[in-house]
Formats: sequence, C-alpha cells, structure tokens
Amino acid sequence: MIGKYLRLTAGSQQAIRDRNASAWLLPEDDRRFDHGLLERMRRYRDEDEVDIAIVGCGAGGAVLAQRLAHAGWSVVCLEAGPFWDPDTHWVSDEGGSHHLYWTEPRVISGSDPVPLGSNNSGRGVGGSTVHFAGYAPRFHPSDFRTRSLDGVGADWPLDYRELRPYFERIEEELPVAGQFWPWGDPHPYPHAPHPVGGNGEVFLRGAAALGIPARVGPVAITNGRFGNRPHCVYRGFCLQGCKVNAKASTLITHVPDALAHGAEIRTEAMVTAVETDPEGRRATGVRYLRNGREHRQRARMVAVAGYAIETPRLLLNSANRRFPQGLCNDHDLVGRYVMVQGAPQTSGRFAEEVRAYKAPPPEVTTEEFYETDPARPYRRGFAVQNVAPLPITWAEHIAAQGHWGHDLRRYLQDYVHWATLGALCELLPQADNRVTLAAERDRYGLPVAEFSYSQCDNDRAVIKAARTVMEDILCAAGATEVLTIGRYAHLVGGCRMGADPQSGVVDADLRSFAIPNLLVTDGSVLPTQGSANPALTIMALVDRAAQRLISRTGRSWSVA
Amino acid sequence: MARTVPSGDSGHRFPDFDALDQARAWDPVTSAVVFDRLALQPDLRFFGPAEEAVASALFDLLLAQEGPPEQPRVPVLQMVDSRLAEGQTDGWHYQDMPEDGEAWRRSLHALDQDARERHGTCFAELTADRQRALVQRVQDLSGERWHDLPADRVWSLWTRYACTAFYAHPWAWNEIGFPGPAYPRGYLRLGVGVRERWEHPDRAPEAP
Ligand SMILES: Cc1cc2nc3c(=O)[nH]c(=O)nc-3n(C[C@H](O)[C@H](O)[C@H](O)COP(=O)(O)OP(=O)(O)OC[C@H]3O[C@@H](n4cnc5c(N)ncnc54)[C@H](O)[C@@H]3O)c2cc1C
Ligand code: SF4
Repeated sequence: MIGKYLRLTAGSQQAIRDRNASAWLLPEDDRRFDHGLLERMRRYRDEDEVDIAIVGCGAGGAVLAQRLAHAGWSVVCLEAGPFWDPDTHWVSDEGGSHHLYWTEPRVISGSDPVPLGSNNSGRGVGGSTVHFAGYAPRFHPSDFRTRSLDGVGADWPLDYRELRPYFERIEEELPVAGQFWPWGDPHPYPHAPHPVGGNGEVFLRGAAALGIPARVGPVAITNGRFGNRPHCVYRGFCLQGCKVNAKASTLITHVPDALAHGAEIRTEAMVTAVETDPEGRRATGVRYLRNGREHRQRARMVAVAGYAIETPRLLLNSANRRFPQGLCNDHDLVGRYVMVQGAPQTSGRFAEEVRAYKAPPPEVTTEEFYETDPARPYRRGFAVQNVAPLPITWAEHIAAQGHWGHDLRRYLQDYVHWATLGALCELLPQADNRVTLAAERDRYGLPVAEFSYSQCDNDRAVIKAARTVMEDILCAAGATEVLTIGRYAHLVGGCRMGADPQSGVVDADLRSFAIPNLLVTDGSVLPTQGSANPALTIMALVDRAAQRLISRTGRSWSVA
Repeated sequence: MARTVPSGDSGHRFPDFDALDQARAWDPVTSAVVFDRLALQPDLRFFGPAEEAVASALFDLLLAQEGPPEQPRVPVLQMVDSRLAEGQTDGWHYQDMPEDGEAWRRSLHALDQDARERHGTCFAELTADRQRALVQRVQDLSGERWHDLPADRVWSLWTRYACTAFYAHPWAWNEIGFPGPAYPRGYLRLGVGVRERWEHPDRAPEAP
C-alpha cells in the first residue's frame, strides 16, 4: 500500500500527462472548451465503413471512443444531444439547467413507479456525467457474487479482481479525490480529500458521535489545478454541469483526447435502429435521424451506449425477421432487470447555519452498512452520503412532506439551517422491473419506452433501515427536527451481462451473445447495483472491454 | 427593482439581503437567464381564460402569494404557462396520468367543477377559505381518485410546477437567504456557522 502511495506522489508528470491528455487539451485561458478541436474533427461519410459506430457519448460511450481511437480504430460516436460548451450552454442556476436532461417522452408504471427526466438521465456529449454529482466509489468485491454469498441478485461473469486495475486507472483519469477508503477492497485515491462544507461537517459530527466510521470523498473533482482544469470553487452547482471544469465529465476527461486521435463525435444524431445483415448474423451499421433526414452509417462493429432505458428501447425497436422480439432478445432478457437504488433523503434542522448550498453536494460517505449483516432482517444494504439540495429541490422535498402555502414558505425560509443526507439502498434485480415499448410514439415516430418498477419486501426493509440510520446520525449531530422523503437514484441494468446466453444479453467483455460484433457498453449491463454510485464501475467495465477488444484485434493500449 | 419578496409573510429573516446585489460577480450567461425572470413575461400561450383564472388562484394559494392585487408577485402563472407552451416538461408521465399539459388542463377544469358543484360558482370567485378547502381536499384524497385522476399524482404535479417556478426567482432567494449564482467567484468560507461577506445572517432564526 505504501508503494502505491509513493507511486502516486512520486510518479512522473509525463506519465500523468500522457494518461490524462484530455486535461491538457482544454484551453489554457478562461475558455472551457477548445472549439478548434471540433473544427479539426475528422468527419466520416455515411458510406465509409468505419471500424465502429458507438451509440451515445456518455460515461460508457466516450471511454470506448477514446480507447479505440487511441488504438487507431476509425470511430464514429453518434450522440442524440448537442456538443456542450460549458461557457455558453450551462448556467450556475438550478431552474435554468433543464436542457441537460433527457426529457423525451417516457411512460412509468408498476406499484412503485420511478420518475425519470432530471433525476436519471442526461443527453449531449458527456451524457449523464455532465450533471452527475461526481461521487466515484468502487463496487465492493461482494457485489460481484451476491447470489453465491447472500442468495439474492446475481453473480457477475467476472470477479472484482479482474476489474481492479481498471478501477484504478479510471480513478486516476477522472481523477478522484478522497480519504483512504477502508471499505470493500481498501484503497487510496490519487487526490487528497476536499474541505467539507456545513452539510458534510454535520454528517461527520453525527457519525462520530455514534461511532459510525465516515470518510470524505470519493469525488471526481480535481483537488488543485489539473492540466488546464482549474481547482473547484466550491460553488455547489455540480448537478447543473460544472462551468469550472473541476468536476469530471467525459466531455472533458475523455472526449478531447478521443477527438485528438481522430474519433468523430456526430451530435444531434438520434439512432433509431441497429442494422444487421439479412440473416441477422452481423451488425452492419446504424440508422439515425439528423436534421430531419434519415441516414445510415456503415460500420464493422456497433456498440450501444444509450443507458438503461434507451439501450433496451433501441434494441427492441431494432426488431427484424431474425429477431422478431427485438435484437439480441432470443431469451427475453432485453429490457429486464432494470434497477434503481432506493434513495431516501433525510433533512435535519440545526440551530446553527449550515448553508448546504456551498461546496460540492457530494462530500462525505459511510459504507458501514453496505454488506449483508446476518443480524438484520434483509439481505445486502446501503450507503449514506450527504446531498445538498438547492432551493427548488429542497422545496420539492418540503412539498413532498405535504406542506404547502404559508407552511411551505416558512420551511423554505429556514433553508440555511438544514443539512441533508441521502442513502443509496441496494434494491434487488427483478425480471419484471423492465423496459418495454409503449403504444405511444415520440416526435420521431418511434414507440417510447415504458419503465415498470415495483419493490419487493427486501427492498422496503433496506430503505426503512437506511432511514433510521440517517435520522440517528442527524439527531446525534444535534438536529431538532428530521424529515425523510422517499426517492430513487441512478439507473442500471436492462441488458445484463451473464455467463451464458440464458443468463445475460452480453458476456463479461460486453459482447452480445447473439451478434458477435454488437456490444453494449453502458450502465445497462450491470447485473446488480450495489450501494455505490455506478459511473466509475460503468467506465471501468467499458475500459476493460475496450482493452480486450483491442488485444483480440492485435492493436495495443495497455493498463499502466 | 424590488429588493425583497413582495408578497406573503416574508422578508423578516434576511431583511436587507438581495441576491441581485452580487449580480456583477455572475457570468453573463447565467445573469441573462436570471434577469429574464425579472423581465416582463410573455403573454399566456397555453392556458385559456377559464384555466388561467383557476391556475392563477391555485398558484397564489400553493405559494401563499396572497398580498393585495396591486402588489407584485413572482409570476408563477406565466412561468408555468411558458414551460407548458414550450413543452419543457420532464418528459415522463405516469401510465395512469395523461402527459403534463393535458394533466394540467384536466385538473384545473376539475377544480372549477368542484367549485360549481359545491358552491355554485367558479373557483376564482370563491373566498380564499373556500378555495383552500377545495385544494386541501385534493391533498387529503391521497391514494384515491379525483375526477378520474389519481389525486396524489395531481397534487405532485401542481406542487412540482409551482415550486420549480417560484424558487427559481431571485425574490424567493432573498427571503430564504440563498445567494443564487456563484460562478465564477464561488465560495471560500465553508462550514457550519461560516459566511461570506455577502451572505447575510439569519436575523430571526425560528424553527418552522
Ligand atoms: C442527478 C444525477 C446525479 C448522479 N450522480 C452520480 C454520481 O454522483 N456518481 C455516479 O457514479 N453516478 C451518478 N449518476 C449516474 C451516472 O451519471 C450514470 O450512471 C452514468 O452516466 C451512466 O452512463 P452511461 O454511459 O450508461 O449513460 P449516459 O452517461 O447517460 O450516456 C448515454 C448517452 O447516450 C445518448 N443516447 C441515448 N440514446 C441514444 C440514441 N438512440 N441515439 C443517440 N444517442 C443516444 C444520450 O443522449 C446520452 O448522452 C447521477 C445521475 C444523475 C441523473
Ligand atoms: S462545486 Fe466545484 S466541482 Fe462542483 S460545480 Fe462547483 S466548481 Fe464544479
């Protein structure tokens, strides 16, 4: 472990610069994006048969594009949303950030329906990482074997150890800041922890009073200037897109380097189908809409990275003669086992001013309740992190308690006195929590996704336990009143990976069992979700898949 | 330009605080978005006159903007109307609810219908107490159906849109002590009980 610290602190600047080339490709001046990169971007024609067409430029899609471009592949990444310029497109304002979210029509159903939109998915280059909070914990080793260990969920077709080098590499590429991590597989982080704001301070105080270990981090926010990325200014608008470039999003961590190595990112291109040869043996490219016209991009390989709702929807919408139930859906798995974490939030009232809106909303975490505890009446567990709702979100929080009118205004005027904690509860994968095609159609004439979600008894028990722990922590910190609301966070699953075609849509290398040159490289491949925020794990899985793909084809890009 | 919230029982906790005092420290793109909310709002495009009458009274109740009519208000009605006219919704809708625009129209008509059935006149004509009782009834029906819509989802639709509009407005920030935009300057003084020079202390701390 000491060797690892030494390597982190004494490692050569050049190695860091090579690995994190994107951070040096951002402008050195006050601008946040180099439009020259876009002007110089390589552009392919639809008729060119490129090595790979990637659908979606979020966490998974951008990492894949960067890796493959580096290895000399011809890459076209088709992204439904725009190419963001943080200077002119993003604002330091909660109400003005609506355009960052995926707000195409969707239907939600089931006994516990999950609101989507701003709570779950982004669009544009960077995908959901543009407005994600930047928490970057690893999954625990136990997450890969919950079926064997706890009799619930599913075993992954790969082991934690196989992913560890990729976790480490992505942590350095974002880079992640935090204290030494004692949970799961204990490990250090490349950047020192950030100072905490009032909300994090309250959390640390309450946890200490109860003897619950808590740590600062891990967040994908540079501590100190990093390349041409400035230091965080602690303004608290991470969920509105970081105008500073301090918080990682693939727009600044992987896209610039991908462009510099010849990848094309074609924006405002909505992919409507993956095409195959007449026998359905090979993917041959994608059909997409751009400027109101239909195009076809030919490709030797296709990777779908549209996230847990749009990826299954696209495969289902790509049904053909060979796959009448949807592409790669021979075993009725596409769209099934979609998961969200139970994310109740508890706010506590303090006599002092907390001013939770300052500092990044993600600050402090405890993973003390992450693993199955035989003494508790449920399997698996939860993590607790602090979240810091800005006024609109906090008003929704108070309104969800039933307050309105004068009552609501009174609570809101007390805003600066409240601290909020959020739990991430591992809810179990269930076959009927799924994405199907609704009768309703969108602007493009395509059937929209219907996402049905219902909790099971174990889910309810975990959420209840998390709520108790959060209320205890806040009371121990001195809260005079606590309020808890039910919510969900994060989406994964829908095209789970498995050991064989009966248990998964894709294998551990993210290749679909049904069509060998069709990959799924996003959050939809996760078989279980743990109690960790998913982006780091999504990126590590895609990094590993890219590495395996490249080595199979003989072009190299090795783990440092 | 008004400096404190012009309506409701407010303004006593951060009496001299005005987020706009710091506007010169904001980036121009953010400033433009915030100042737009202080400008004259576009004419209504989505709500028809009958809907306008109900919605306007409903928003005043939900957000306790109950001052005399000549007092300025946070233009919640206009802000929600713009969102609906521009289709700026969150996209999703519950399977047992129509999409947001349609849900707004139907729920406003339903409220008017309740007023006529119980009091023989339209919602906007009722006293505030009677209006409040009708609105409260919808909240109390949670879990049941109201005019063929799930009452709790209607309630959530109303409060979500109302809160999103109201708390996007600098007048609302002033009464809660929130400084609004913070780019490029950001914050240096972090932690419990610590303030920047331009953050004002709570003058009348009082648990709600
Ligand atoms: C408010 C919020 C906070 C979050 N906070 C955290 C956090 O702190 N830590 C964490 O780990 N995770 C967080 N997440 C979740 C995280 O951002 C996602 O899990 C992750 O980005 C998913 O990666 P992905 O590659 O699967 O999809 P995405 O990053 O969503 O990328 C998918 C991309 O595909 C595009 N696309 C979809 N369909 C098509 C199509 N048909 N044609 C073309 N393009 C298409 C979309 O526009 C999008 O850009 C948060 C999410 C939200 C919403
Ligand atoms: S708090 Fe830091 S990381 Fe978050 S948006 Fe502001 S500058 Fe970026």
